[in-house]
Amino acid sequence: MGRRRRRLERQAGAGAEALPEAIAALSRTLPTRPNPETFRRAKFDLPEAAPALWRLLFHVLLREDDGTAVPYPEAQVRLVKSALRAHGYPRPALTQLPEDGSQGSRELLLALSWLLAGGSLLGRLLTRTHVLTGDQMPMCEIHQYTQGCHSNQSLGHLSAAETELLRDPEAGQQLLWRLERENGRLEAALEWRRLEPIFWQWMDTVLGACPQCPSDTGPQPTFQAAISDRGHEELELVTRELQALWQELQLAAEARRTAWEAQVQIQGLELSTPQVLVSEAMVERQLATLRQAWEQWGALPHGPHRLVRCESRALPGGGLWGTEAIKALRSKAACLEAELHWLQGQCQQELAGLAGALPEVVWIPPHGH
Amino acid sequence: MLPADSSRRLVAELQGALDACAEQEQQLDQSLRVCRRLLGTWKPAGVPEPEPSHEDPSPGAPSPQDLKELELLTQALEKAVRVRKSPSKTAERAKVPNQKPRTKAPTAPAPPQAPGRTSSHTSVTRPTRSSHQPKVLTTGHQEHRLRPAQERATLGTGARATKPSLGDPQVTSAAPRGPEVFTLKEKGSLLRLPLAFQKTVSQNSRLWAQLTSTQASDTEEAAARARFLQKMQAASGRAAPGLSMAQVEAEVGTLRRACWLLRLHMNNETAAAPADWVQEYRRVLTLEGLQTMAGQCLRRLQELRQAVAGQQLDPWPLGKPPQACPCRGGADANWKPQLLLYSSTRELQSLVAHQLHTTMLAQQLHLQKVLMAELLPLVRGTPSPSRLALCRAVHSLLCDGGQHFPVALRDEPAD
Repeated sequence: MGRRRRRLERQAGAGAEALPEAIAALSRTLPTRPNPETFRRAKFDLPEAAPALWRLLFHVLLREDDGTAVPYPEAQVRLVKSALRAHGYPRPALTQLPEDGSQGSRELLLALSWLLAGGSLLGRLLTRTHVLTGDQMPMCEIHQYTQGCHSNQSLGHLSAAETELLRDPEAGQQLLWRLERENGRLEAALEWRRLEPIFWQWMDTVLGACPQCPSDTGPQPTFQAAISDRGHEELELVTRELQALWQELQLAAEARRTAWEAQVQIQGLELSTPQVLVSEAMVERQLATLRQAWEQWGALPHGPHRLVRCESRALPGGGLWGTEAIKALRSKAACLEAELHWLQGQCQQELAGLAGALPEVVWIPPHGH
Repeated sequence: MLPADSSRRLVAELQGALDACAEQEQQLDQSLRVCRRLLGTWKPAGVPEPEPSHEDPSPGAPSPQDLKELELLTQALEKAVRVRKSPSKTAERAKVPNQKPRTKAPTAPAPPQAPGRTSSHTSVTRPTRSSHQPKVLTTGHQEHRLRPAQERATLGTGARATKPSLGDPQVTSAAPRGPEVFTLKEKGSLLRLPLAFQKTVSQNSRLWAQLTSTQASDTEEAAARARFLQKMQAASGRAAPGLSMAQVEAEVGTLRRACWLLRLHMNNETAAAPADWVQEYRRVLTLEGLQTMAGQCLRRLQELRQAVAGQQLDPWPLGKPPQACPCRGGADANWKPQLLLYSSTRELQSLVAHQLHTTMLAQQLHLQKVLMAELLPLVRGTPSPSRLALCRAVHSLLCDGGQHFPVALRDEPAD
C-alpha cells in the first residue's frame, strides 16, 4: 500500500506525462479500441471524434455478444441515447445531439466517463468477452479420464477444449492467441487502474470546458413517448397480479385460521408455548428461504462458468456447487411453470366466457379444465 | 385470418424461437462430434512433410535455457551416432521429434532414453513468433527443422503417450511404449498441456485475480469517481433521479418472480389436505406469512410507481435490460469467471437437464405471452358467427399447448 501511495504521489506530480499512458491503457481495454487521439479531440468537441465514440458506446451498452447484428449509424445513435437515458444519464445535452452522429464528441466522452465512474463497467466488458478454456457443455468422460493432469491444482482435469488442443495443435493455436489477446487487455486494465486518478483529473477539465447547461426544459423526442408505455405496462401488470394474489392469500389464510380455531375449540386442544415458538421459527425459516429464492436469482449459472469435476467437497478457491445450482434451477423452473399455468388459466377463463356468451352454444373444455 | 402485421410479428417470434433451438442443437452436435473424436483412438497423423515456416507460428520463444539444453542433447546424440551402430541410430532418429520423413524411422518405436530430456528437448521445438525459424544443430546427417506448427509425427518418439502439440506435452517417465494408437481412457491422465498454453492460462488467471483484488481495494479511485459523478450531476442542472428506469425494470422483474413463487407456495399449502392440528397451525402461519410478504412486495411496487411517475423516464430501448449491461453500482461479484463444480456424472446430467428444462420453459412462457397479446384481442373483436371456430383454435393454442381441442356444441332449440 505504501508503494502504491508513493507511486500515486509521483504520478500526481507527473500528471501531464502520465495522461497519455492512462488514455492509452483505457483504449486498449475497451472493446472497439478507439484511437487515443479520439479522446483528446473529444475534449475540444471536435466533430471527427464523434463517430468513433458513438460506435464505442453502442458496443459498450447494447452489444451483448459479437453475433448480434449492428444497425446502421443513425439507429445506433438513437439506441445509445435511449440506453443512456434509461440508465439515468443526467445531462440533457445528450438528447439534443443530431442523429446523424456527426457531433457531440465531448458529450459522448462525458457519457463514457460517467459509465466508467459507475465502477464495474470494465469488469463486465472483460467478462463478456472472456476466452473460455473450460467446458460449458457436459464432457464428463473427458473430465474423468484426464483427472490429475492439469497443472492448475484447483481444476484437476482437462477440459474438452484443452484435450482437443492436444489432439489438434493447429486448431489450438486460435485458442492460444485469443487468450494472449485477452491477457493483453487484462494488463491494460490493470495499468488503467493504476493511472485512473490522472484520468479523473483530466475529465474535470473536460467538464469545465463545457458551456453551462440550461435547466432541463427541452421537449422529449417524440418517438420515445410511444415506447415509454411498455415499462409502465409491466409495472401495472405486476401490480395487478400481486394484488390478486394478496387477496387470494387473505381469503385463504382467514378461512384456514377460522377453521383451525374452531377445531381447537371443539376438541379442547391447546398449543403450548414451546409448540408455538417452534412452529413460528420453522415457518419463518421456510419463508426466508423463499425470499432468498427470488432475490438470489442471479446466482444461477450464467456467464462464463467452467465445469470442473471434483469428487471431494473440499476445493480451494471456491466456485458454485452443482447441487446449489440444481436447487436454484429447480425453483426457477417451478416459478416459470407457475406463471405459465396461471396465464393458461386466465386464457381459458376468458375464452370460455367469450364462447359461452354466444347463443345456443355449449362449450366443453378439454378434460382437466 | 390474422391481420397482416400481427401475423408478421407472430411469424417472426416463432421463427426466432425455432432458430434458437436449431442453434442449440447445432452446438450440441458439434460438441458431441468433438467429444467422440477425443474419446476414440488417437492415431498418429500420417507422416506428411511438415509445412514450411509460412504457417502459423506457435507462440512462445524457446528460452535460452531450452536452447542450451537442446544443444547439449544434440551434441550427445551426435556423439552417440558416431559411436554406435545403425539400430541405435534409428532409435535416436526416432527420438528426435522434428525429423524430416526422409529418414525412414519415424514410426519405429524407440526407447525413451531420457524422457525428461526428451521433454525439454521437444519443448524447444516451439519456434519464435516470427516467420523465421531458428535452425537447430544437426545430428550427423539429419537436419532438424524447428517447425512453426507442431507436426503429428511425434508418435515416432519413444514416449507413445506423448501427443503432438504446441511444444509437446510433457509425459511422465512412466510412459509406456505401446501400440501406435492411443485412447484417452487409457492414457488420459498422462497428458500434459503444452508449456506455452499453461503459461498463458496461468497468466490469465493471475491477471483476473489481480484485477478483482484491485477492484476491492481502490478507495482513492472510488472517491475520485464519486466526485466526478457529483460534478456531472450538478452541472446538468437537474436533480438526481432516485432510480434509473433500468433499475426500476430490474426490480419489477424481481417482484414478478416473487409473485409467482408466492403463488406457488400458496397453491402447495392450500392443496394439501388438512393434517394434524399442529401442522394445520403451521399452515395457517405460512399462509399469513405469505400474505405479509405479498403486502411488502406491493408496497415496494407502489414506491417504484411513484419514482417512475415523478419523472420522464425512458425505457430500455430493446424491451429488456441486457444482462451484460453495465448497470451502475451493480453487484461486482459476478464479473469474474467462475467455476461450476460437480461431483458425479449423475449430478452433471441432472444439472444439464434442469438447465435445458428451464430454458425451454422460459421460451414457452415468452411465446405464451406473445400469442396472448396477439390472439386474444383478435378473438374479442371477431363477430359472432366465426368467433366460435376461432375460440376453439385459440383455446388449444393458448391453454393446452396445442394438445387438445375443446368441444363446442350447438344447441338447437327443439321444435
